[in-house]
Amino acid sequence: MDQDWGSPKYVAEQFAIWYKENSNTIPAPTEIRQREFAFLHFGGKAMFRHISFSDEDAFRHYLMENAPAHSYHSSSYYSKPAADMSNKGWRGADLVFDIDADHFNLPCQKQHDKWKCRTCGKEGVGKPPEVCVCGKATFETETWLCEQCLQAAKNETQKLLDILVQDFGMSFKGDLVVNFSGNRGYHVHVRSLKVRGFDQSSRREVVDYILGTGLKPEYLGFTPKGKGGRSILGDEGWRGRAGKAIYDYVSMSTSEEIKALGLGRTLTQSLVERKEEFLNTLESNHPSFVLSRFAGKYEGRIMTDLGILMEKAVKEQAADVDTVVTTDIHRLIRLPNTLHGKTGWQVQTIRPEHFSDYDPLISAIAFKTGVVKIFVKYSPRFRIGSEWYGPYSEERVEIPKAAAIFLLCKKGGIIVE
Amino acid sequence: MSGMSEREAAKYPFLQDAVKLVDALNIQIADLSDPIYVKVLDRAAERITEAIVDGVVEAKLEDYMTELVSYPVASMLVSLKGESYLDRRYSLAEAVRIYLLLQKEDRKYLFQIAQKEFNWDIKETLENYDGQNYTFQLYFSDYLHASDAFHEDKWKLVNRILRNGYVLLQQSEAARLIQGEVENQIRTRVSNHVKFQLPDPIKQRLDLIEKVFDENRTKLGAEDLPTEVIREAFPPCIRYCLEGLLSGKRESHMERFALTSFLVNVGMPLESMVDLYVSVTDFDEAMTRYQIEHIAGLRGNKTRYTPPLCDTLRTHGICRNKDEVCERVKHPLNYYRIKVRRLFPGKQTKAPSQNGENPISEKANQE
Repeated sequence: MDQDWGSPKYVAEQFAIWYKENSNTIPAPTEIRQREFAFLHFGGKAMFRHISFSDEDAFRHYLMENAPAHSYHSSSYYSKPAADMSNKGWRGADLVFDIDADHFNLPCQKQHDKWKCRTCGKEGVGKPPEVCVCGKATFETETWLCEQCLQAAKNETQKLLDILVQDFGMSFKGDLVVNFSGNRGYHVHVRSLKVRGFDQSSRREVVDYILGTGLKPEYLGFTPKGKGGRSILGDEGWRGRAGKAIYDYVSMSTSEEIKALGLGRTLTQSLVERKEEFLNTLESNHPSFVLSRFAGKYEGRIMTDLGILMEKAVKEQAADVDTVVTTDIHRLIRLPNTLHGKTGWQVQTIRPEHFSDYDPLISAIAFKTGVVKIFVKYSPRFRIGSEWYGPYSEERVEIPKAAAIFLLCKKGGIIVE
Repeated sequence: MSGMSEREAAKYPFLQDAVKLVDALNIQIADLSDPIYVKVLDRAAERITEAIVDGVVEAKLEDYMTELVSYPVASMLVSLKGESYLDRRYSLAEAVRIYLLLQKEDRKYLFQIAQKEFNWDIKETLENYDGQNYTFQLYFSDYLHASDAFHEDKWKLVNRILRNGYVLLQQSEAARLIQGEVENQIRTRVSNHVKFQLPDPIKQRLDLIEKVFDENRTKLGAEDLPTEVIREAFPPCIRYCLEGLLSGKRESHMERFALTSFLVNVGMPLESMVDLYVSVTDFDEAMTRYQIEHIAGLRGNKTRYTPPLCDTLRTHGICRNKDEVCERVKHPLNYYRIKVRRLFPGKQTKAPSQNGENPISEKANQE
């Protein structure tokens, strides 16, 4: 019976019903004729790729007929989207950002994620280690999500949007689209014509900017030559952001934490014994004063140290996007407003003005009516809408369809008569 | 910039009006055999030898017509030579020449070139940060395009003042970015390698260039890698990937790609690589072989992949344990070259490899 966990036949039927009712409300991606589409069907292992549609009707018809488990479209534009990769004729690609709580290190993962080594059978919670004690790296993982994961993903997305709007001058009037990914994260698409032609190296520069990778203190005013006057804390862009990051990091660290950073003696001593003075200097003076007041004669060393300190500190201010997704110019990305086969939730376009109040567990729920009886193998506590369910272990329950389909998509249960 | 003087055109032959001036002369290849073009051919060959030997083309503006006409002729010679190292060296040297001249121009002139010639979305401004005057704001997409070949930290977008989509620039920086655009432009032109029947006077110049090029090969970084694989010379990032693989760690796609493409390029035999991967992971042998052959250019679109640039490895978190050799290079293969030379000072290197098709390797060897 093991293969029936998740009752794929039942879920497929439910998806089909949903698509029958809702396909005609799903907008086709912009410039549909230049996009490649790809789908995974229930029970199928291979992805159907290199599909193209001539118009929105054909696209909706496909969704209605096939009710796929997972739907994707290319972030790229092609002259012949249905051709094989080498003959597609790449014409550009949206700039895409993927924020997925899966990639974060969150304390809640220890509560709801599990792994098991397929070689020796060892089990554990949270993320699997790089290598198992048996020397192999063959893990099966079971990942769930909770309020904390979703909130963390939302916070990172908000930081990303702030950087895109304030620093890159992008706007929600056309350039920027935010989607809930249907699982543990968000996708941000930038469709502006000015970024479409970007090659990988330009995209990499943008990602490095978002993550603060390669930031050097000497270009933020921490230079003995600079005599610019004002503090950087009020500046825009990374100058202000990094300045504030260092300020917050130092002010919130204990002496022990600062000592543990492994910085040189001069800066460590300054940060421990003259912390207030250091913070005041950063707050009221140009960063060159940090050098003149705290470097002593070890200017070279303090630059290296400030670099290390900054690298630690900016992690808080940077938005944690997936570097591979953004730099890939042939990426397939989830099709907005379709269903996600691992949750049964809707991948959803969010109106920017509603983002701060957005709650996927209310808005992205697709199956809103009905009650279903299922046998649950295991599930942590979870919320759908405003109701809480579980935790369950080896038990029969009768719950609303939305909760049941979520558990089935997670392969944590099976339909019972 | 209409009604441009010929002297002006000789200074900045990449400007549209300068190109029009040359076009109007309607010079054909066959014409170049005529003795009246001896000076032009000589100067064209000289531009290239200056590029090879000094890394910068001198601005010889006394005989401005020769200077102007020799510019497209030199480009043609470089593209006939068909050597990607020379393409890079030459386009950079011409671009540096432009940069040095532009430094003497005023702000208005730079602004005009940026807008008219390159269609930059640029604005004038006057702001002061850290005691420096910033006089221009350039839209970030134009900025990224122009600075693409620059690898110094100061040009990284993250180290710039970026506000509302615009990057602040000092005047000398704007000149340097124009240099970047000119370099891109020349490089695109000369890397279109062509072959056709040539009149003797042109062949003679090509022979001369060949000779100078061979004498200066080492300077151009065009030498090949040693034939055996020298693990002690691997850069820290590749060592990190290799050690990860050996310990059985699940490596990311990027880590595996970096490692495999590196090993392919330093000449590790495919069989040894397949053995290596299969022995330490539970990878399927057929699949592993397929992927390695793909990276080695034996399958698919037949491109042999070079490892990612240092910058790319840094973005994906693979650059680590940097040492002092790392500070000197932008590409893991260049690290390997330098390290091999250090470990075996006498080691002979062979003729340059000809796989300059890959844009990654093109950029990697950029000086």
